[in-house]
Amino acid sequence: MLAEFINPYYLQIGCFVLINIILALSVFVPLSTGQLSLASAGFMGLGAYTSALLTIHFELPIIVGVIAGTLIAGLFGILIGVPTLRLQGVYLAIVTLGFGEVIRVVFVNWESLTKGSVGISGIPHIGREILKTFKEFGFNPQSLGLQNNQFIFLSIFFLLLVITVFLVWFFRRQSRSRVGRAYAAINLDEKAAESMGINITYYKVLAFTQGALLAGFAGSLYAHVLAYISPADFSYHRAVDILVFTIFGGSEVIWGPIFGAIFLTFLPEVLRFISEYRYMIYGLMIIILMAVRPQGLIDVTIINWIKSKVSKRGVKHGSRSEKSM
Amino acid sequence: MVLEVKKACKNFGGLAAVSDVSFSIQKGEIFGLIGPNGAGKTTMFNLITSMFPLSSGEVIFKEENINGLKPNKITEKGICRTFQNIRLFPLMTAEENVMVGVHCRSKSGVLSSVFRTKSQRKEEEHIRSRATELLEFVGLKDFAEVSAENLAYGQQRRLEIARAMASDPNLLLLDEPAAGMNETETDDLFQLIKKIQSRGVTVLLIEHDMPLVMKLCDRIAVLNFGKKIAEGTPTEIQNNPQVIEAYLGSEEEEEYA
Repeated sequence: MLAEFINPYYLQIGCFVLINIILALSVFVPLSTGQLSLASAGFMGLGAYTSALLTIHFELPIIVGVIAGTLIAGLFGILIGVPTLRLQGVYLAIVTLGFGEVIRVVFVNWESLTKGSVGISGIPHIGREILKTFKEFGFNPQSLGLQNNQFIFLSIFFLLLVITVFLVWFFRRQSRSRVGRAYAAINLDEKAAESMGINITYYKVLAFTQGALLAGFAGSLYAHVLAYISPADFSYHRAVDILVFTIFGGSEVIWGPIFGAIFLTFLPEVLRFISEYRYMIYGLMIIILMAVRPQGLIDVTIINWIKSKVSKRGVKHGSRSEKSM
Repeated sequence: MVLEVKKACKNFGGLAAVSDVSFSIQKGEIFGLIGPNGAGKTTMFNLITSMFPLSSGEVIFKEENINGLKPNKITEKGICRTFQNIRLFPLMTAEENVMVGVHCRSKSGVLSSVFRTKSQRKEEEHIRSRATELLEFVGLKDFAEVSAENLAYGQQRRLEIARAMASDPNLLLLDEPAAGMNETETDDLFQLIKKIQSRGVTVLLIEHDMPLVMKLCDRIAVLNFGKKIAEGTPTEIQNNPQVIEAYLGSEEEEEYA
């Protein structure tokens, strides 16, 4: 029964959606302090290569590789974040884009370590590792009526889902705290924030590093979901894709980049039936949206509207919907 | 002595915006800084709060040299300011604006914020009640949920004062708080600044509204072309020939004019 509904292909798209949500957050978090970073693809690559190489050459468990990949990306985040503090807007965007290209070129040319543009294959696969562990405990997916590869993709999907939900929860709570207020204040008026006693250096580097950690984490997961990576995965195109998730979805509230990542990952798949025209439609949609809604699709007004709709449906609401007016 | 400015100089390229200005402010007084447009008053504020570095001279706050500290450190030491051209956080509500002001008197980090530890919740509660109290203090209690950009001009000015007061300053710098206000609003502002004084906060005030300055200030310093030309009580200042000349021009000039 269950088995007929589980198509590994759809599950894999689901996994990419979740990884893309994490990547979209990696742009959203620095942007919530006003830092437009295009370095996410670079940090993603650092995380992916670090984790892949560690798990292949040292046979470390995947979780150790992922943690190491995340931390290496975070470390580079601090190294890039500190000297670029004074840069704003497009200037920061250009520097971070340059950083991403440098990383990619290093991957291409350091052939003894990275196998150059051929890429690294045979990276330990999260799903297969989970299956192996389960089998060691005497569990067999057939007992649920699932084939091995259905189980593999299902387990990755749920693992990524739990991780993504946790991260969204984490950054939503952060945005509603003293740290989130400091981010928002810096975004709205850096000089005023500084005069109100906010250490802008600390919070800007913190936000930038959080972005790097997120991208590095997503990259490490990506390596172990695909089992194959090459420098082309972390090129300029990837950087722009990630940026578009956030710009398309909207950068005012966390739901913007999440929506952008979901919608824009699904769209090319849904449009697959018109094959080569689909990226034309993709591009056209972005152009139209940017012309009509430059703040992105999801903004504070829409969130408040949805909230008021939801609370009207509830039995008693009162203050809630009035507040959101 | 709360604040002591010693021979402060600031040059922008060849232009001396402030040169050799010295004055000192006693604890609990309201000190006025006046002068014609472009006299260097706001520059003086920017020097005290380290928005610009001093070219030479010293700023001493509570017996401590605060030259070269970062602006946020200065706020932490107990000096907070408002801006001549209002600089609130426009998309935040009035309450959130004041809550940002409490930032340097609170300390929850990322992890305690996300996992809402007991001390974080307590602190957040304290920040909120402090914001409510200050909004009431400046008469904006009913506007807590309104975003700052939607407030009327006079309300925005008062919100800036509430936000600055949220950092528990010993010295409050007000940059033209009455600018753009009508007579009733100016009267309210007078009461508000008096109330701030009665809370034990020393006030340094830049203002062009002379009746307000004369009524409010204990002592006044006058700047003209970046130099201090007079200092004294309001009565002394009103009768100082140099001040009258700076504001109205000298009598001889008028004869030739």
